Amino acid sequence: MRGIHQANGKQLIRNIKHILLGLSLLVGVVATAGATSIAAKPSATLDAARNRGFLIVGIKTDYPLFGQLTTKGTSEGLEHDLAEDLAQRLGVGLVKVSVTSANRMPKLEEGAIDVVLATMGDTADRRRIATLIEPNYYSSGVTLLLRPDQKAKEWQDIRGQKVCAIQGSYFNRPMSERYLLQLVIFNNARDAKLGLRDGQCMGYLFDNTAIQSDLLRAEWAGYTAPLPPAMVAPWAIAVARRDQGTELEQVLGDAVADWHRTGFLLAREKAWKLPQTKFLVDAQELWARTAGDTTTPSKFMCSRDAQGQWPAACRNPAFVTSADVGGLRSAGLWLREFSGLDLTFVYDSYDRFRFFKGLLQSLLLIVLCVAGSLVVGTFGALVAESRWRKLAIAARLLCTYGRMTPPLLQMYLLFFGLGAVAWSSFGISFSPLLVAIWCLSYYTGSSIMNALLDSAKHARESRPNFALTLSSLRGLIDISSGPVTAALVNVTKATMMASAIAVPELLSTATAIMTDSGNVGVMMNMLLLMFLLLVAVTYRLLGWVAKRLHQQMEH
Amino acid sequence: MDLRESLGVLMTWTPFLLQGFGWNILIALTAMTLGTVFGAMLAWLQLSSWLVAGRISKVVTELSRNIPTIVFQFYLAVMLPNQWILPGTTWAIDIPGWVKAALALSVAVVGFTSDNLQKALSDWRQGRHATALLFIPSWTSYLLIIVIASSTASIIGVSELVSRCNSVVNAMGDTRLLIPIYLYASLFFLFFCYPLTLVMSRIRVKMAARLVIV
Repeated sequence: MRGIHQANGKQLIRNIKHILLGLSLLVGVVATAGATSIAAKPSATLDAARNRGFLIVGIKTDYPLFGQLTTKGTSEGLEHDLAEDLAQRLGVGLVKVSVTSANRMPKLEEGAIDVVLATMGDTADRRRIATLIEPNYYSSGVTLLLRPDQKAKEWQDIRGQKVCAIQGSYFNRPMSERYLLQLVIFNNARDAKLGLRDGQCMGYLFDNTAIQSDLLRAEWAGYTAPLPPAMVAPWAIAVARRDQGTELEQVLGDAVADWHRTGFLLAREKAWKLPQTKFLVDAQELWARTAGDTTTPSKFMCSRDAQGQWPAACRNPAFVTSADVGGLRSAGLWLREFSGLDLTFVYDSYDRFRFFKGLLQSLLLIVLCVAGSLVVGTFGALVAESRWRKLAIAARLLCTYGRMTPPLLQMYLLFFGLGAVAWSSFGISFSPLLVAIWCLSYYTGSSIMNALLDSAKHARESRPNFALTLSSLRGLIDISSGPVTAALVNVTKATMMASAIAVPELLSTATAIMTDSGNVGVMMNMLLLMFLLLVAVTYRLLGWVAKRLHQQMEH
Repeated sequence: MDLRESLGVLMTWTPFLLQGFGWNILIALTAMTLGTVFGAMLAWLQLSSWLVAGRISKVVTELSRNIPTIVFQFYLAVMLPNQWILPGTTWAIDIPGWVKAALALSVAVVGFTSDNLQKALSDWRQGRHATALLFIPSWTSYLLIIVIASSTASIIGVSELVSRCNSVVNAMGDTRLLIPIYLYASLFFLFFCYPLTLVMSRIRVKMAARLVIV
């Protein structure tokens, strides 16, 4: 029943709004009579949306109060209300696609979604890779969610500490540069918050609006967010770069302006029980202000000019600051302008540093996983062939389980599942690197163990007395070098899975650079190339080792 | 949440999770089909008397062996459009996430098929038919590896079993479900792969026995 009442209430508000909109349009038409109508280029995106009958909006479902899932599996939130209103204004249906901070820009660029309405801050970097709609519709800053056992008053207090964060947030880089934070990067908000709870970091770096709504939940009782919001930035709706200056950009901009004027945003903010933001109060005052000149007394001060631009006073004061340019950076920028290749990991010292760190981390992972798999595999095979019957059976069972369950699932199980128990019971936090190495070694080691046991079985066919011992092990590895090498090459390729539990390896760093800089194509090709090289080198090295072993055996 | 409660939750969500596992199998079968067709072409080319084709096939096989599927999956997810309009027509072909995952995995299958089928084909041509037929159990074992690997599609947002586990935990809002649900999901893989592995090793033993008799 409540749902129906709510729906009726919403409908009523909508009806009233439409009447108001009609009136204001009428006033607008009267007021701007004689002025040239603003011509905008047609938008292919908008035409496509009209043809198919719905607008595809990329929206969040993991950001409570702004976009969240209901227990029934549907989604709702402040931004979902806004998206519905946009679709209604365009006279089309609405299809909502759940996006994350990391994938919303790529999805927009590739045309999977028409519009991004997903708690996105308006920054100079983002303006380079997409068309951000003015005016802004909300604003927020970044703060830190602290576990009950942590204390901090100023941002300086957390200098050099480990902090959990989410891939693709615009404040990750500047905050980590400013306070030398060691970021532990997760793929989504849930994982990052679990990381905080399980002691992976001392705080969770995120948007103050989201953290404020988290603090209202029983799950986070005792947690605090005492630091003043930093890097306060307005939020913008975004459309693809190709929609710049088109009808779509204009219609969306007009919609946001109208939201401010009618107080729609303030009303929705209140309806979702969010604390009132000063930004919205100021914006309403600004956008509802009339020009007050004598000829057109009811014309809004913030109206588009003949070119379709808002007056300077109504625009966001420019946040575009010219970067200090010199040396490698200027060469890189020159290459970018000249060829379109944006090699930020070459000319940008921060990107270069993290790219190399990622590469080193990946190398470390590969070496340790190869070694770990060999140890697990041979040790397992020795135990399985040993005299201790019970141990041998257990080893064989573990081998079957390890070989037939996905290592990614094992990582989640160990890191988030057992990690939580270890932290809450013993105050131990699992190292993501070690968890990744263990799970990958267990999976691959099981395959190696299986291959060794197979070979042992074969050997017994010709020599019934054959027993797998430390002395016969080398010969057995030599016989099964084919499947063993294949398994080790596979684990090299699989190391990237570690990015799912915040190991800052190459895949994770490349994604971070690409979401910050928008050089998706370059980073993706670079990543693929690096891994092709890594795998090829591993392949050769293992082949060489196998050959040496074989030669030794023949002697 | 005690054991009985967790089991209750798992039971309620089982159809949803099973559907997710259906996606894993669909992804794996698609990858195997695509990979086997292309891999077979490469294997056939390598055995052909046309030297250039043989060399090209060797390079392609080597490349497909070296491409890491997880990175390639990421690559396709980002670089391939979600819809592709056939040039000169208005036909639009959708390329959803699961297809991208299957495409990425099929690359590994290409390498596998090209290597193994080449051996099998030359055995067959030399009259060692029984040895050649050993390709069938190896192919099935590889299918199982691909079914397990298809779980990484969750990283690019395909709603398969692993990502559905996360959805369930989110929807229930109770992180104590994490351990039971991940364990439960791992059993899906185990109960699918284990019987098939047993059957395949039986078949292999039988084939080998026939080999000895012949």
